[in-house]
Amino acid sequence: MLTARWTRLRGALAQFLYGLTGYEFARHALQMRHELESVFMVVTFGDLIGVPVLPPVYSLRLLPYVVPEIATWKRHMAQRKEFWEKDEYDLHGL
Amino acid sequence: MNTLLAVIIGALTVYLAYTLYARRIDRHVIQSDPKRATPATLYMDGVDFMPTNRNILFGYHFKSIAAAGPIIGAIVAANLWGWLPAIIWLILGVSFLGWASDYSGIVISVRNDGNSLSAIAHRLVSPRTRTILFVFIFFYLLLVAGAFVGIMATVLESQPKTQLGVIVLTVMGLLLGQMLYRWRTGLVGATVLTVGLTLIAILGGGWTEEVFKAFNAGLNNVSGGAPLVTYFDPTLANFKGADAKIMPSLLFWALAISAFCYAGSVLPIWRMAQPVIYVGFWITALAMVLGLTGALVAPFAKPEVAQFVIPAFRGFNPQLGPAGVMPLWPMLFVTIACGAISGWHALFGAVGTARQIQNEADMLPIGGGSMFAEFLLGLLALLAVSVGAKGAPVGAFATGLGGFISVWGLPIQYATSLAFAAFIVIVLVVTQLLFRVQRVTLSEWLGDVFPPCRNQHIASLICVALAILLMMTGTWVYLWQLFGGANQMMAALSLLLVTVWLASVGKNWMYAGLPAAFMWVTTCASILVTAYNLYSNVYQINMAAGRTIPVVGSALMILVALLLVVAALYIGLDTWRAFQRYRHRPVQQRKPAAARA
Repeated sequence: MLTARWTRLRGALAQFLYGLTGYEFARHALQMRHELESVFMVVTFGDLIGVPVLPPVYSLRLLPYVVPEIATWKRHMAQRKEFWEKDEYDLHGL
Repeated sequence: MNTLLAVIIGALTVYLAYTLYARRIDRHVIQSDPKRATPATLYMDGVDFMPTNRNILFGYHFKSIAAAGPIIGAIVAANLWGWLPAIIWLILGVSFLGWASDYSGIVISVRNDGNSLSAIAHRLVSPRTRTILFVFIFFYLLLVAGAFVGIMATVLESQPKTQLGVIVLTVMGLLLGQMLYRWRTGLVGATVLTVGLTLIAILGGGWTEEVFKAFNAGLNNVSGGAPLVTYFDPTLANFKGADAKIMPSLLFWALAISAFCYAGSVLPIWRMAQPVIYVGFWITALAMVLGLTGALVAPFAKPEVAQFVIPAFRGFNPQLGPAGVMPLWPMLFVTIACGAISGWHALFGAVGTARQIQNEADMLPIGGGSMFAEFLLGLLALLAVSVGAKGAPVGAFATGLGGFISVWGLPIQYATSLAFAAFIVIVLVVTQLLFRVQRVTLSEWLGDVFPPCRNQHIASLICVALAILLMMTGTWVYLWQLFGGANQMMAALSLLLVTVWLASVGKNWMYAGLPAAFMWVTTCASILVTAYNLYSNVYQINMAAGRTIPVVGSALMILVALLLVVAALYIGLDTWRAFQRYRHRPVQQRKPAAARA
């Protein structure tokens, strides 16, 4: 009982420490990846909607490997954004 | 009074306010429901909307809201009114206003599809609210940037021991960014290397003290030892007023800080701003954790560093002579901002944290809990300055915090160096980011009207130039109070918005409405008092002496103050109308969507 509680507490502390330290790097890495995926999407968009744009269909075949989560990508792009929702505002510390 | 008693009072405040008040509001007014789907689960996009574990998000949110604000505010307030009013405001502020503002910022966003406060204000109040928010944010950032550059330049110039640490911090920040994002080094190894080297440079600041002293003297010889600018500063010499002199060395360090901030503003965020903040975080966290635990055991281990030495109460309107009027109400309530209540927390919570909440039951521990943790940071700063030796406020703070740290066996000179460095680092890294955010705000606000503002270099240079101009007025205490006014006004606006939303969904709005009204009136009054002080004690005196730069700077500050009041009046009027509209005819609340299994 006591051991389980101690393990839970240690886990919570480790998560808190990760939130304080490494989490923002992980989030930023995700945002950078999303930007790269967006570039690839622009290249393949013609193929995606059936308009014949070069380079040919091979790029579309690559799409699931480069951008595995297409549904979440679409959702992200569809969100309306205010300018102060940029990542700079996550790190203000006032 | 000693530090142990103050820490116990602080801990009791957190416990009682959280369990007896905050939890009650969460259960009975907001009725947070663990089964209701949050925007993070509904709109998960893997980037912004991402359900995140409660403990991780608590750490992330706390780090994002805690920095220089609670420290500087407590230092200034303790010196103006004594430690007793400061501690009472910290306790009452966080118990009845602070947690409510932070928590509500998250709640309103979670219950409105993860929308930001401006988007909700546009829908519930009026379309012009968004424009007014632009004005607020830009001037808020300008004021705090001017205050921080002023503090930093003065401290760096007068404390040659600290300069090596700041230079190494910058280099280590750049190295960390390269290691993490380019060389793909592990976070733990990179942290040990960069934080370790920065810590060595901070503790060994004395090695290069003579070099930097000679460097400053060399710079001052350029003008033959004469100041570049002289102006009257009513807040100098413990608020007795004195002529301040801007020497070439001070200007050099102000420009060096500006160059640092300019680089942080225009480089990719991963290259400089983010890693420098990260390294700085560890230095500050180390000092704060050692300091807080040291304050707790100091009455037993080292009683001489645990007794308060500054007066408990200096009066409701301390006689400041040329520094003008400083009535406890409203000025205390804006001088101590972030440890008691802060508008920026709500603004950030609504877009940054709210979109990662995976369960409505997490809103209170994360939003309210982080604010209570920030209160403890403000309390520690107040304790440090209350036990510190007499002298300049920042020096007293460093001496006090150094005393707490020395309880753990670190020699006092190293402990004080670490405390000084923690203060400088936390202000410096925040200043760097301020310019970045200010640049983005300026280009969004004026980019259409004045296209050069869209250029990041031009926008950054405009921001830096304005901050230097404000710094040259020399009255950073007034700048700080104006910033506090703008910050608290943002808190009032977010609470007003929450009040309108609560009325619109037919809930009891009192817990947000009463603090909102109090903060709105208080901050309007405080901004007007500061404008009066600036006019009578800086503008007029320097005008009579024919000193152009402080006259222009103080005129700019007065103009900003009046703009803030006008913006606040507009928002107050619009929210009052919206409140009356919804109070009598609440809109139908949507049925909650079911959470995923």
